[in-house]
Amino acid sequence: MAKQLITLIVNGDSYEVAAAPHQTLLEVMRDILNMTGTKRGCTAGSCGVCTVNGEQGEAILSCLALAVEWDGRPVTTIEGVEEGDKLHPVQQAFLEYGAVQCGFCTPGLVMSAKALLDVNTDPTEADINEAMAGAICRCTGHIKVKKAIREAAKALREREVNDGAS
Amino acid sequence: MQLPPFEYIRPESLAEGLQALAEHGDKIAIMSGGSDLLINMKFRLDGPEYLLSLNGLPELQLIEELDDGSLRIGAGCKLTELANNALIKERYPALQAAIFSVGSRHVRNMGTIGGNICLDTRCWYTNQSETWRDTRDGCFKTDSEQCHVIKTTTKCHALSSTDSGPMLIALDASVVLASQAGERVVPVREFYQDDGLDHTVLEPGEVLVAVIVPPPRGRAVFAKLAQREGLDFAAGSFAAAVSGSNEKLDSVCLVMGSVAPEPRVMEQAGKILMDAGLTDESIDAAAGAARLSLDEVTNLFTPPGYKKRLIRALVKDALTELRDQAVRG
Amino acid sequence: MARVKEDTAVVGKNWARLDGADKVSGRSIFADDVRLTGMLYGKVVRSPHVHARILSIDTSAAEALAGVKAVITPEDAKDIWLGINQPLLPTESVMHVGHEVAAVAAISEEIAARAAALIKVEYEPLTELLDVEKAMEDDALQLHEKAKGNIAWKQEEEHGDPDAVFAACDVIREDTYITNPSHNCFAEYHVCVADFSSPAKLKMWTPTQTAMLFQQSLAAGFKLPVSDVRLLTLNTGGGFTGRTSTRPHHFLAALLSRKAGRPVRLRSAGDEEFIMSRAGGRVTYKLRSGATKDGKLKVIEADLLFDTGAYIESQMIVTTLTSKYIHALYPIEASRYRGRLIHTNNLPYYFHHGGGIAQFQFALGQHMDALARDLGMDPVEFNLQNAVEEGYTTMDGAFYASCGLKECIEKTAALAGWKDKYGKLPKFKGIGIGIGAMASGAKGLFRHDTSAAFVKVTEDGKASLFVGIPDMGQSSHTTMAIICAEVLGISPEDINVVSGDTDSDPLDVGAFIQRGTFNTGNATKNAAMDARDQLTKKAAELLEVEEAVLVFRDRRVYPEGQEDKAIPFKKVVYETLHSQEGRFVMGRGFYSSPLEKGTMAYSFGAQIAEVTVDPGTGVVTVDKMTASHDVGRAINPRIVEGQMDGQIFSGMSQVLYEEILMEDGQVMNPSRLDYKMPRAFEMPEVEHIIVESIDPNGPFGAKEVGEGPIVCTMQAIANAVTNAIGTQVKEMPLSPWRVIKAIKD
Ligand SMILES: Cc1cc2nc3c(=O)[nH]c(=O)nc-3n(C[C@H](O)[C@H](O)[C@H](O)COP(=O)(O)OP(=O)(O)OC[C@H]3O[C@@H](n4cnc5c(N)ncnc54)[C@H](O)[C@@H]3O)c2cc1C
Repeated sequence: MAKQLITLIVNGDSYEVAAAPHQTLLEVMRDILNMTGTKRGCTAGSCGVCTVNGEQGEAILSCLALAVEWDGRPVTTIEGVEEGDKLHPVQQAFLEYGAVQCGFCTPGLVMSAKALLDVNTDPTEADINEAMAGAICRCTGHIKVKKAIREAAKALREREVNDGAS
Repeated sequence: MQLPPFEYIRPESLAEGLQALAEHGDKIAIMSGGSDLLINMKFRLDGPEYLLSLNGLPELQLIEELDDGSLRIGAGCKLTELANNALIKERYPALQAAIFSVGSRHVRNMGTIGGNICLDTRCWYTNQSETWRDTRDGCFKTDSEQCHVIKTTTKCHALSSTDSGPMLIALDASVVLASQAGERVVPVREFYQDDGLDHTVLEPGEVLVAVIVPPPRGRAVFAKLAQREGLDFAAGSFAAAVSGSNEKLDSVCLVMGSVAPEPRVMEQAGKILMDAGLTDESIDAAAGAARLSLDEVTNLFTPPGYKKRLIRALVKDALTELRDQAVRG
Repeated sequence: MARVKEDTAVVGKNWARLDGADKVSGRSIFADDVRLTGMLYGKVVRSPHVHARILSIDTSAAEALAGVKAVITPEDAKDIWLGINQPLLPTESVMHVGHEVAAVAAISEEIAARAAALIKVEYEPLTELLDVEKAMEDDALQLHEKAKGNIAWKQEEEHGDPDAVFAACDVIREDTYITNPSHNCFAEYHVCVADFSSPAKLKMWTPTQTAMLFQQSLAAGFKLPVSDVRLLTLNTGGGFTGRTSTRPHHFLAALLSRKAGRPVRLRSAGDEEFIMSRAGGRVTYKLRSGATKDGKLKVIEADLLFDTGAYIESQMIVTTLTSKYIHALYPIEASRYRGRLIHTNNLPYYFHHGGGIAQFQFALGQHMDALARDLGMDPVEFNLQNAVEEGYTTMDGAFYASCGLKECIEKTAALAGWKDKYGKLPKFKGIGIGIGAMASGAKGLFRHDTSAAFVKVTEDGKASLFVGIPDMGQSSHTTMAIICAEVLGISPEDINVVSGDTDSDPLDVGAFIQRGTFNTGNATKNAAMDARDQLTKKAAELLEVEEAVLVFRDRRVYPEGQEDKAIPFKKVVYETLHSQEGRFVMGRGFYSSPLEKGTMAYSFGAQIAEVTVDPGTGVVTVDKMTASHDVGRAINPRIVEGQMDGQIFSGMSQVLYEEILMEDGQVMNPSRLDYKMPRAFEMPEVEHIIVESIDPNGPFGAKEVGEGPIVCTMQAIANAVTNAIGTQVKEMPLSPWRVIKAIKD
């Protein structure tokens, strides 16, 4: 059916694209904007590899979001997480603490973890499990992923203290 | 999996949305968060010509306290927002638990309370891709007069899978349904019907705009069985609300979810508690009665007898928790 | 015999994955991310029937649809065979639900799906054979002419005189176990991009554990010289034994591409993933063993029956692997083995994580646990008393040059507090042990077991390391960089690992049967030493010393004991490359087991599980895992831990959760939601113990940690459940209702 001209705001950049109503945010990002960092998985909301962060930084499943619904609303993807030329503390911790293996689910895991830590830098074990249960990981058994999230939280808390002091 | 094409309608106001619904009859589907509907569309279980998006309609986002102390929750509120809502946490902790138990964090960030209440029924044979279903004859939901779940039946036995539904019934909540003809308020208990194909009393042209939860009267509990925490649909859920003391209860409402096409109110089990209060014996008896009242539903994951056993354990643990809540104060 | 751990500068330290920064920032490219000009999208038409004759295929409507660029039917696939008895597309009858019948390529995935739906296939249903027992009955329908009695493959083996040894035993025990169908469930769905637009050369981007075998198989299928098939591996989103051979989609994409003259991407959608994956089928294990009353295990007999589904490709390997396993852990005096693979109209099955061995050990480990109890022994005592040791040669000829099994058992039992717990836990709490061994490589399954490597040293003092082993998450590329860096005396971060293109990759059998660290590691070490040798002449000249005394370390070169004389590695390279001679430093090395059959290295492990069983629901919760693994030498300890974690997860997942539910030949739970692989909440605490036996043949003493740990996990958890409820649950997964049934019986 008729395509609509929409403006997707991805990682702070505005892109005007013509999208059919039935195209998902995932499809438009990957196939029109060529942003392949966000992965295509089950496309039915249960594996989490397509996770991006919405307006409030919340973790959303781009396979179940219509692109037209995101017209004019900012989205952050894995390509927009780095801080300048440095990795974000979540990415850094994933790298350092062995939370990355095959790497296919990693973008979804990072975006799910970032959504949690953006609003809670002192998560309990249950908070971490709850934030991550929507995301699959076959390789790591989630163990090092959880460890990395705890470490990233620590780094972010330190940063808060330092920022507060300066 | 891809979505089938449709015409997308994004109204500026509820009235405009109701107008579109009236105009397009059975060719239009309502979408809130889309976390259920879009999957069914990918599976080609739904193929609406028009899709009415309720997302962002300000009328549906309100949470307000009414004069009588009830809480009116707009249908468009996201589940995460509600699970974090201080008022809900404080006054209706069991409702908070039910909402918090829906799917994953990701799903709750997208899904709404309206969508959760209206959630379509589910079954093993039908919630599959179109090509998967092609390997078998159809069923009530597709194109044939039979049910794969219960072969001898004359209606669809897909299960009601909403987690908030049973809890809202136990709390004696009502839903507000709006159409161009106006609004009507229906107790949630009467909102559902025992037919997987037509599981609510929603009429064409109607939108669920809000749910009204009366002021809490006593204690309540919600419990859910799922193989994995923080993701799965319930294999069985249980919601209970009581008022009065453990020795003498003034009211009891026990509801099971994911066991029938509608949330099932357990009359017999409730009566046992009304008569005997909450004691070890009555809890046992009520759990036994709950077990006996279940239909024989084949469930691929578990032999039929096992699901009933699970339900008994679930009900027993939850009622014990409810009793101890009073003791703890 | 204690061997000395070599003093190393790089090996044995914790290194982050070299590709990690790309992976955490979305820059890593997977096959589904490949975008080629003119690329088309494929879709497969699959059989809705279990078993049916194809009467006709009408493709006219599909061909007429705008945007459709190629349609293929069995006519186009003549003479292309997969494995032993599977035509790429069936000319006569479909043999299982989801069987590929035709395929289309179109300018979008949407059009391809529409076109596939327009292809009309007429079938005449035939008798279905879904049950292994029925398939073996005398009057059963024959699914393949050459597989008499539907037996696709049979292996029988006997060592010593089992009957005589049984007769001399005091305690004899018999048990039957079952493992159910499962699915690899890797995060990255099956996908490939084929460019066969020039029919003389096929290019394919696809995730794989072995580019070599894929290349050979595609070359054979399309009758091309091997070098005209170019495999491009990119990143591989998990392997788990599920990407060890080509599958129909690889050939179909190539055929579509050849016909359309454009590149084609073919990816599974939704439940198709579960048809294409074909992990383990249902297996029955009949075990019998005997011991003398002093607790000495004497003899094991095993009779294994595998549902291999409609076709057979490489699954016969499973009988070799399991037959060897009987001898792997205990020095017995006699054994008898029979393994049979039976055809049915189920999906053609391959392997799940653990390669059939971990699943077999679910059975054997439980059986041994029960035997220990029959003997009145503590299972840890039984295992310690019977465990193999260094220097032992098994009845079928495996020699253990290093073996830390007893150390693993002792350390694990100590850390888990076994003595204070076993037999002393409250009701419905249990503790159990599982032990395991794993070969690093398996010459004999293939003609050779070769890995090769090149090292190119560049004038800035860095190096490019070329290897053919894919990295599907196990971190082999980083491991190889560490080994190479150690030899050259530089940092792994100075090394650029080049891999994933068969046009430039050196030969490598691939990343399975745990051959990576041992074989490719040895090859890499050899290549790096060769490169270093090319630098020593100049270094010695610059330092004015003998070549033999040179030390390469910390990006410097110096005579042993005279660090103050050190010159930068970079300088040595620069001077060598830009000498008048004009040298190029290129090291090469390869490794294959010198044995006629088998490998030189075996790793060992032990795990102890602690569980709680809910007697009301039968739900098993794993509270804690204590795990040890004798890796020979940990090249990168953090990665070793990560590998152990992943396998404990997968083992726990398989033993408690994962099951493909089949009804009428169809997968009933083909989704990430209904196929229950656990997530964050379900994972227990894990304690790791790394045991280093320093293998004399391994690179720096290393063996493997790629699949050894999972062998211990399933049995450890099952034994803990037995300990908690007082009876064995003999069928995997130990779903709550099976646990309840066991408690009730
Ligand atoms: C992985 C996964 C796990 C899940 N687990 C659970 C679970 O554990 N428990 C559970 O209850 N659900 C679960 N769900 C289902 C679903 O996501 C949630 O129920 C969610 O709350 C649905 O809300 P929504 O706004 O997304 O609904 P939508 O998908 O927008 O709509 C659902 C249905 O309700 C109708 N509808 C929506 N809004 C209205 C309205 N205002 N008036 C009338 N009709 C309306 C739609 O037409 C549609 O039929 C899960 C989904 C996924 C993908």
